[in-house]
Amino acid sequence: MTGKTARLIFWLGTLSSAAIFLWMTYDFHLQTPKFTHTDKLTDQVVAGKKVWHKYNCNDCHTILGFGGYYAPDMTKAFYRLGENNIASIVRHPEVIYRNSFRKMPQLGITEPETKQLVTFLRWVGEIENRKWPPQDEKFVEAYKLRESQPQKLEKVRRMPQLRTPGTQRGRGLRGDRQPHRLRPADLGRLHHQPPIGASRDNHAAAGRQHADGRRYCGLPDQP
Amino acid sequence: MKTIEFESQRVSLWYFRIALVLFVLQVIMGLWLSINYAFTLPQGLVDVFPFSTAREIHTNVLVAWMLLGFMGGTYYILPPECARELYSTKIAYLQLAIFVTAAVTAVVGFLFGWTRGKPLLEIPFPLNALIVVAALLFIANVAMTIIKAKERSALQWMLLGGVTFLAIMYLFGMPFYRNLNTDYYYWWWVIHLWVEGAWEIVTASIVAYIIMRVTGVERKVVEKWLYVETGLFLFTGIVGTGHHYYWIGAPNYWLWWGGIFSALEPLPIVLMVVDTWMHVRERKNPIINPLTWYYIVGLAIYHLVGAGLWGFMHTLPPVNYYTHGSQITVSHGHLAFFGAYALLNLTIFYFAMPRLKGINKYHDTPGRWGFWITTISMFMLGLVFGVAGILQTYLERFLDIGYSTAHLTMMLWFKIAFGIGIVFLVGVVITVWHLLTIKPSTTPAPEEIVTPAADI
Repeated sequence: MTGKTARLIFWLGTLSSAAIFLWMTYDFHLQTPKFTHTDKLTDQVVAGKKVWHKYNCNDCHTILGFGGYYAPDMTKAFYRLGENNIASIVRHPEVIYRNSFRKMPQLGITEPETKQLVTFLRWVGEIENRKWPPQDEKFVEAYKLRESQPQKLEKVRRMPQLRTPGTQRGRGLRGDRQPHRLRPADLGRLHHQPPIGASRDNHAAAGRQHADGRRYCGLPDQP
Repeated sequence: MKTIEFESQRVSLWYFRIALVLFVLQVIMGLWLSINYAFTLPQGLVDVFPFSTAREIHTNVLVAWMLLGFMGGTYYILPPECARELYSTKIAYLQLAIFVTAAVTAVVGFLFGWTRGKPLLEIPFPLNALIVVAALLFIANVAMTIIKAKERSALQWMLLGGVTFLAIMYLFGMPFYRNLNTDYYYWWWVIHLWVEGAWEIVTASIVAYIIMRVTGVERKVVEKWLYVETGLFLFTGIVGTGHHYYWIGAPNYWLWWGGIFSALEPLPIVLMVVDTWMHVRERKNPIINPLTWYYIVGLAIYHLVGAGLWGFMHTLPPVNYYTHGSQITVSHGHLAFFGAYALLNLTIFYFAMPRLKGINKYHDTPGRWGFWITTISMFMLGLVFGVAGILQTYLERFLDIGYSTAHLTMMLWFKIAFGIGIVFLVGVVITVWHLLTIKPSTTPAPEEIVTPAADI
């Protein structure tokens, strides 16, 4: 190979890739309004994003999968937890996680900030990102089902009260503190438990079926 | 005794020293992070020094010491490459002072909650403006040195191009974006186009220079390889940015473009391993300092494993759907940053620091211990994070048994990671101490046969 060929490879490689990338960037900007519903991107949402940055949430939690891996992803947190639970956790983490193996700092977030944060998370949850993260899609479906067909949830029974793994010491479900001692039968129960502070109605609708065909379900919150 | 040819190369020494101190601080902070993962901490402690603060120190100090290494390395190799002194040593020291002041203020600020809250780019506005000033001074100094040089080489331009590209990309991380998805779109212009673009160019240039100097291999051959490698790095790396855009709310074709181009990303690294190996075999000069060679070859192999192989494992969309944002990413991040960039910086330090002290052949016993302890323990750490990541991916993402349960199961592996982290810290302290107190060897060095870079 001559020096000239080597230089040609350099320029061809660099410029072709840069051209493709810049065109894709242009197209990204054209399509972003559709994927992220920018018509709903209000000042309240932006204020919430500023709260998200102000308290450095992103260095513990991921969002869209980016950030710290120390705490759960927040992309679909609005659907997974619901507004009230997010507010409780954010305002009183020292109470909610008193017995948890992992703590969240008390950041002194005010009430208006909490509302803005929830609005932001609600907007983020609506970003059409190919149903990522995988485990949260059932909450999104449940939320949408509850919104569109509330009558389907009227006759259902209350869900059995189970403890959230990792939040209780001692008396919890087997495997709370020692997950390696879980039996396959327990896994089924864990599977249907709400995550810390999750709203029951979302979980009810999200619940898959028992082996015998019964559905785990609960009563929807009445407006 | 052959040491440095130009007096102005000495400015790099302070860049290296400060970088080494920050390296130790970064690893200590990393150990603290692993304690956070492995044990339950009291609420009172979490309130005053949360994980998020420790993480921003860990990552920002990483970026700071690596940039200091690159800048010092550039200042070290530029005078001999241009066959003249640096344009200004005053600018070089001023820039260092501004950069270090901004970095130290940023770290102290983080402790008091002064942050932009944007991962890896947390440095708040007035301080990141200072970083930009320092970068501009740096680029101006490098550019003026090259412009005023009588000699012209591909390496000069490649270096200047690399550092300018690096600085320009930083600007995309500075504005406030209203839309989270656009925010992260441009966030990756900084992070990805740094590590898989600008930093690779700087790495390839510096490695090319060092190989040329220590092997005596002809400049023409080295420069040819440099062009092909950087061309392939940029060809695969630029569109390869798409592998970060699978799940942020972007059009479908990103999956294809991102997937295919990023699957090709290991290719230039394979070339780098091949060319390093070839040049080692065809060297015209005897090996004077074996440890420097350990680092050159170690860098090539570790770069391929950490960045190439580990990156390839989870870059394709069907795999990435489950592994994205998990401990698999942590495993890849550690092996890639250490393999590609920490080892590059240490290679520069081991090449330049003895020469800056007038030492031709150095006593290397502690350094060898440092090399083996850090490289092996970091590899173990990568494996342990990998196991934790596989557990997390399977339990949380696949079986869907919840984040908390998955993390409880992973705690054992974080405890192991903490133990390995201590060993890694010991290795780092040995290496840093060795570099800072490097001494001449008592055995005489073999004579060089070819004067390096004589055909400039």
